[in-house]
Amino acid sequence: MAENQKKILEMLANKKISVDEAYRLLSALKAEGGAPASSAEAGTTGKPGPKYLRVSIQPGSGHEHDDDVDRVNVRVPLSLIRSGMKLTSLLPPEARDKVTGALHEKGIDFDMRNLKPEDLDEVIEALNDLEVDIASNKDVVKVFVEQ
Amino acid sequence: MRRPPMLIQVQIHGQEKRFPIWVPLFLLLPLALLLLIILSPLILVAIIVLRLTGREGQLSPGVSTSLGILCSVRRIKAALDVLFSMPGLRVDVRNRNERIYVSII
Repeated sequence: MAENQKKILEMLANKKISVDEAYRLLSALKAEGGAPASSAEAGTTGKPGPKYLRVSIQPGSGHEHDDDVDRVNVRVPLSLIRSGMKLTSLLPPEARDKVTGALHEKGIDFDMRNLKPEDLDEVIEALNDLEVDIASNKDVVKVFVEQ
Repeated sequence: MRRPPMLIQVQIHGQEKRFPIWVPLFLLLPLALLLLIILSPLILVAIIVLRLTGREGQLSPGVSTSLGILCSVRRIKAALDVLFSMPGLRVDVRNRNERIYVSII
């Protein structure tokens, strides 16, 4: 455990600070530490990070004949997402403007110029906890990451 | 350790036709690299001529991006990074009659 975290817990144990204050301080400490702290944590637990983003669409229970419907299984390496996103920063400005314009036309207000590598690492790290599971009579859609 | 893709497996199954193919990238990539090295003086001349005549802006974004990648070390590195990240990619779409399967190994 880091020295600062120990100090905060000691202050809490000595009733110098309240539980709320301790929580706020620990959160601030975690935010300050950022990615390196979490990766160090991952290293100590020995848990490997996610490697793939999986998207699966399977027929739901409402289908009488399973054979009539489409099934989709896509597995994308997370490293490909990371390097693909980095590649977007190398696009010529006119191509980037075209992409941004096309996205805007579809109602997606997203500017690729705002995408920074440090944000990307944070997004990929957050994918660890991602699990989308939509089940209806028609389809079962699952989006998740796997090792 | 990261490695370049070795094989692409493509399977297209229709109602009557089957089209399975294995593309040996481990044989094609060295050939492509060799071709690129041989053509690089010509590409360099084309880039210089296009820049000098001011026609670079008239190129389509795809061609412009490709030329841009070829004339920058940073861009070559990024393109190789994408290539080396591809193993493990798998797309499988199927129904009763048809199937499209692409896997990069």
